[in-house]
Amino acid sequence: MLNYVWIGLVLIGVLAAASTDIYDASTNRYKNGEPFELQYDSTGVGTGTISYSREYYDKFYGVQIDYPDTISYRAALAGNSINISTDEESPEIWKTVAKTDDNSKQITAKVLSRQGSEMTILLPTTSLVKTKAVLDAVISYSELAVKISLGLIGVMAFWLGIMKLAEDSGMIKIIARILKPVMVRVFPDIPPDHPAIGAMIMNMAANMLGLNNAATPLGLKAMEHLESLNPHKGTATNAMITFLAINTAGLTLIPATAIAIRAALGSKDPTIILMTSFFGAGLATIAGIAAAKILQRLKIYRIKDQPDDSTPESGGSN
Amino acid sequence: MIKDILQALSIVAIPLIIAAFVAYAARKKVPVYESFVAGAKGGFEVAVKIIPYLVAMLVAIGIFRASGAMEILVKLLSPIANLIGMPPQVVPMALLRPLTGSGSLGLMADIMKKYGPDSFIGILVSTMYGSSETTFYVLAVYFGSVNIYRTRHAVAAGLIADAVGMLGALMICRILFG
Repeated sequence: MLNYVWIGLVLIGVLAAASTDIYDASTNRYKNGEPFELQYDSTGVGTGTISYSREYYDKFYGVQIDYPDTISYRAALAGNSINISTDEESPEIWKTVAKTDDNSKQITAKVLSRQGSEMTILLPTTSLVKTKAVLDAVISYSELAVKISLGLIGVMAFWLGIMKLAEDSGMIKIIARILKPVMVRVFPDIPPDHPAIGAMIMNMAANMLGLNNAATPLGLKAMEHLESLNPHKGTATNAMITFLAINTAGLTLIPATAIAIRAALGSKDPTIILMTSFFGAGLATIAGIAAAKILQRLKIYRIKDQPDDSTPESGGSN
Repeated sequence: MIKDILQALSIVAIPLIIAAFVAYAARKKVPVYESFVAGAKGGFEVAVKIIPYLVAMLVAIGIFRASGAMEILVKLLSPIANLIGMPPQVVPMALLRPLTGSGSLGLMADIMKKYGPDSFIGILVSTMYGSSETTFYVLAVYFGSVNIYRTRHAVAAGLIADAVGMLGALMICRILFG
């Protein structure tokens, strides 16, 4: 199914980008080639501020924006071009123009005429906005993926080291024994004293305490143990899917990130969500386990007898 | 009170676990240093193993987000959200949460900035954020680390958990904060 999700994300993304761009071009959303009139007030040699009224902007682009009556920016004149510094708060279209122009917050426009403080400029041609954004995303997200992966090396090594210690000393077995009654029910396919059980418990405990740095390495260690019990390499086992369903529900005692953001934004009671998100994630966990258990019986999700292999090229569409 | 205990617990947990594990291993006469290093050797390998899976997943999500498809989807889903009493402002959150951690974090901050963290929408959106995990990231990383690409019902189970988490968040917030 991950196949279909992947195809869906990529194709829907590209199609949406292309159709938005075609629509924008046909309606000339960015008013390419139309002169824009504004006020230029010099504040020094080659520097000044530009300003225009909200009404003019609304009429020019045929939109309605929620802004003060006068919009102004710092600008720098150089020859017959003008550099306008926009910011995060700029109206949507100007922000897009700036970003598509040279991927910064600067708009470089051509000065068509200037009489006193009256100036007419030609904004840079803006087209294929979404397609360009998709192209940028491909590159930046590929880099991000590598950055995340490599960033894991340190903590990963540390926790794998600690886990090895715990396995060699028999600590993991002791941990597994404590929660045996629960784990046997949730993971009936795994022998109760298998190290996978201990690692999964460690992962869940780390998640509960909000220790994200530790949870991922411990979870991956658990996956390694689960994989050692997998007769069909390359295909997920029932236990793995149940384990992941629990992980994707994200049950935690302290949703630390959400609380921190709430506090930073001046909430009177940032921790008010402790109970509510525990409730939400608790329901999600139960639903995840139930869904995994029910779906594994469905015919389409049964493991087909495929030759043991681990190369994606050999197909398999689930 | 409970909150303080929980927070203290999350800080002391790691040092305590480390100390307990090392002490126990030493008592059991395990060559501690040797054993730790032998385990830690796997760290690099695992991290490198997940790269292709994570690239595939994040690029697809990146394309989807950059294309503006999300806005179109939000418009299409608004009537359904209306039907179950979900404010239209938080619909993007429900859609983005399983896809991206950093994206939904930014969205949560934006929505709370706009409506206030203590408004109904502010509480709801932060509850939604706390009620789920980044499903597709978890799937890519966990399955990637053991080279699994036939994921069977994992996506379905994960998304069902997400949907229930979002609806549970909506329900509890409606009951408690109206």
